[in-house]
Amino acid sequence: MRSKNRMYSLVVFAALMVAFAGAQTFDVKTQTLKNGMKVLVQEDHTIPNVAMYTFYRIGSRNERPGTTGLSHFFEHMMFNGAKKYGPGEFDRTMEAAGGANNAYTSKDVTVYQDWFPRSAMDLIFDLEADRIENLSFEPKVIASERGVVASERRTSVDSNNFGILNEQLWATAFSAHPYQWPVVGWMVDIENWTMDDLKHHFEAGYSPSNATMVVVGDVSADEIFRLAEKKLGPIPSHAPPAKITTAEPEQMGERRVTVKKFAQLPIVMMAYHVPETASPDYYALSLLQTILFSGQSSRLYQRVVDKDQLAINIGGGSQFAFDPTLFTITAQPKAGVDPQAVEKAVYEELERIKNDPVSDQELEKARNIVLAGFYRQTSTISGRANTLGAYEVFFGDYHKLFTAVESYNKVTKADLQRVARKYLGDKNRTVATLVPEKQAPEKPEPPKQ
Amino acid sequence: MKRVVLIAAVLAMSFFAAELPAQQPAGLKLPPFKKVRLKNGLTVLLMEKHTVPLVGFQVLVKAGSVADPAGKDGTAWLTASLLRKGTKTRTADQFSSELDFIGGQFGAGASSDSSGVFAEFVKKDLEKGLDLLADALLNPTFPQDEFNKLLKQRVDSLKSEKDRAQAVMGAYFNAYLYGSHPYGRPVEGDEKSLADLKRDDVQKFYQSSYSPGNTILAVAGDFSTTEMEKLIAQKFDSWPSRTAPAVPLLEPAPVTGKRLLLIDKPDSTQTFYRIGNMGIARTNPDRVYLEVVNTLFGGRFTSMINTELRIKTGLTYGAGSSFDQRKARGPFFISTYTKNATTGEALDKTLEVLKQLHEKGVTEEQLKSAKNYIEGQFPPTTETARQLAGLIAELEFHGLDRREIDDLFSKIDGMTLADAQRVIKQYYPMDNLVFVVIGKASEIGGVVKKYAPQMDTRAITDPGFGSGGAGVTAAK
Repeated sequence: MRSKNRMYSLVVFAALMVAFAGAQTFDVKTQTLKNGMKVLVQEDHTIPNVAMYTFYRIGSRNERPGTTGLSHFFEHMMFNGAKKYGPGEFDRTMEAAGGANNAYTSKDVTVYQDWFPRSAMDLIFDLEADRIENLSFEPKVIASERGVVASERRTSVDSNNFGILNEQLWATAFSAHPYQWPVVGWMVDIENWTMDDLKHHFEAGYSPSNATMVVVGDVSADEIFRLAEKKLGPIPSHAPPAKITTAEPEQMGERRVTVKKFAQLPIVMMAYHVPETASPDYYALSLLQTILFSGQSSRLYQRVVDKDQLAINIGGGSQFAFDPTLFTITAQPKAGVDPQAVEKAVYEELERIKNDPVSDQELEKARNIVLAGFYRQTSTISGRANTLGAYEVFFGDYHKLFTAVESYNKVTKADLQRVARKYLGDKNRTVATLVPEKQAPEKPEPPKQ
Repeated sequence: MKRVVLIAAVLAMSFFAAELPAQQPAGLKLPPFKKVRLKNGLTVLLMEKHTVPLVGFQVLVKAGSVADPAGKDGTAWLTASLLRKGTKTRTADQFSSELDFIGGQFGAGASSDSSGVFAEFVKKDLEKGLDLLADALLNPTFPQDEFNKLLKQRVDSLKSEKDRAQAVMGAYFNAYLYGSHPYGRPVEGDEKSLADLKRDDVQKFYQSSYSPGNTILAVAGDFSTTEMEKLIAQKFDSWPSRTAPAVPLLEPAPVTGKRLLLIDKPDSTQTFYRIGNMGIARTNPDRVYLEVVNTLFGGRFTSMINTELRIKTGLTYGAGSSFDQRKARGPFFISTYTKNATTGEALDKTLEVLKQLHEKGVTEEQLKSAKNYIEGQFPPTTETARQLAGLIAELEFHGLDRREIDDLFSKIDGMTLADAQRVIKQYYPMDNLVFVVIGKASEIGGVVKKYAPQMDTRAITDPGFGSGGAGVTAAK
């Protein structure tokens, strides 16, 4: 996940947007505008503030070789000027009215976030409408923003061994499907997109009918629907992005990739192909993730960090995804520990899950952790806006958030064994290892163009 | 990254920045809370908040790394980290299993000024959760094998952190700025101090610092105050009162002149740097005005620093500035990063923006914008039980009270341009600056040495962060 101005530095350890089972329901009102944009509103008057999240169903999976990273770059451009509010004015105007913003791009979606006092509501709609309808493409601004994104890449990838290795992991695990390239894009692509690529991307992804807006906070649903229809409703819709027809062929044997570079500690990542979020196996895999990684009593922490003392940390899981994705396990071996010793311990633990059912107590623990996580996730207007939007977009219906508890309760111990056996096998596995080198080699001369 | 910097600034400063925009109906005050003192001296703060079935606890013990014995940096941190790793009645595994079973959260650590535990539980498991929290605080046994395990993990974590410049920048900067003053110590220890630490050090630290009279326990969330008071008394009354020795803390003296530390990280494609000097203490009377000015200078996306280094030039992904407020004067710093080839350009621009701040100050329009921004962004920082427990504990720790939040509306709105110009002159360094740079020395060494008459160098693989070094000698 890449962001306008917030670094997800531990992105490989954080299972972003983990699903939470809801015991509570919120009163959500919805309306679809004339142009097809769906708006969700949840009123909450606890604080005089509003969180507005707009999800566009476009991400790096909608890119192609040569334009990788374009969705994320485009996300940056959405802050750089339109017709009514010129370069710099979007941020300046919003902040002067007490608002703040950010955005993030994933492999699947691009999400725009506004947080503001309710007094700024009209202005926020004005700003959002202006950039969706009349974004400008100023060559000078684009050149400057290329530098910003290149710096973001240098920081989150080049300067972060987890970032470097994670990129190689995905590039190795996928050979056909667009999940193979990084959200931030390959550096050479960042340097080479053309104006036409950008314009084409805007036309493909930014139809109002391709977006879902979620508003949570000190508002009335009626006023939001009225404002949305007035400011956003007149913006015409057009064709959505082309359907992604490429499916990753079944993996038929382990793949391994190595990165050698200057470092003090190695890193090892293991990844397995798993189905998309909307799949029926989602809930079992999500509980399995909790059992393996959540808390110091979890299976893998206990074995790898605590008992065998092979690694300083271990974590993993899946992110929400439209298409079949990866279930990853990341560990940082201790100094002097062979990364393959970590692998061996992990595989033994996975076999244990496959062969012996987890205890009733362990299953109940996993459900409790998921439930508490749901409370935390939805304890702020911002968290609720993000969660409602993510369920609406990835499960196709925000109501799934309210039935998640039931879905988790239906998962049996046998289901956990079944999904472990089905997905966490060696033929379906990709392993990436970072091997430390003592010295940084001198950079080879760049190839002549 | 910019947002990360901003959040740090907000955490450090905006506890007092509670405001309501003028257009809003007045009344965004800190919710009511009760303060009681148990017979053994424990200070308890209770605030009900019934929006979500969660209860958050914040414990602050008034002894942080400043109280570490000489040469034993990391003692306070290690002590806090080991609280859950074995008690009189629970092994580390039992503690973790019980905690995880109820979906609870428990985090312990230390800062320069304090040690602390944060815990959060679902309402229905509150009694169990409180039992775990009290057990960790009152009955830790610090088993030798758990001590060994954690120490070894920490030694390797240091290696991992030194593989990423941003993870260690703060430790290098504080060490270089504060020198032998305790604020220069690495809170989580370094290669040298960790090698010398013994279980006995941890036990002694616990014995001398963890006592009810030296501790604040704040709780916020979905509970009834009467019942919670009873529960807390049941769990904590047996904590014997002890006299904790006062930890003397001298006021650090700002560095005079310019000095620069270059840390060679030979695989760097980007140069990371911090520039600054000493800032202000938490109770400085100008803290609100400074928060407003720093919002404009380096505390938000359109700040002067980010405008110049990111928005206008594309030199970096993010640039910002922050006043880290502590019991005594904490650090002030500007931080950013840029590719190796533009290191000099970025440094020049950074210093230029600082100069502009001093020469031109801020405008009436900017001042209004910053006031609106702080007021508009404050309410979501007091939304959760966790945030509120942290807030009231922090206020109590610094001897502040609810007026810090309740009165700020008038304080911010009453701020004038003259106030802004005065705090700029008074608190933003100009000629006296410490530079800490992490990057590829063979490419940037020649460029960065021009910024100070004195340049020190280290390799990222050298043990430690250099505390006890340069910073003190020139301090006046």
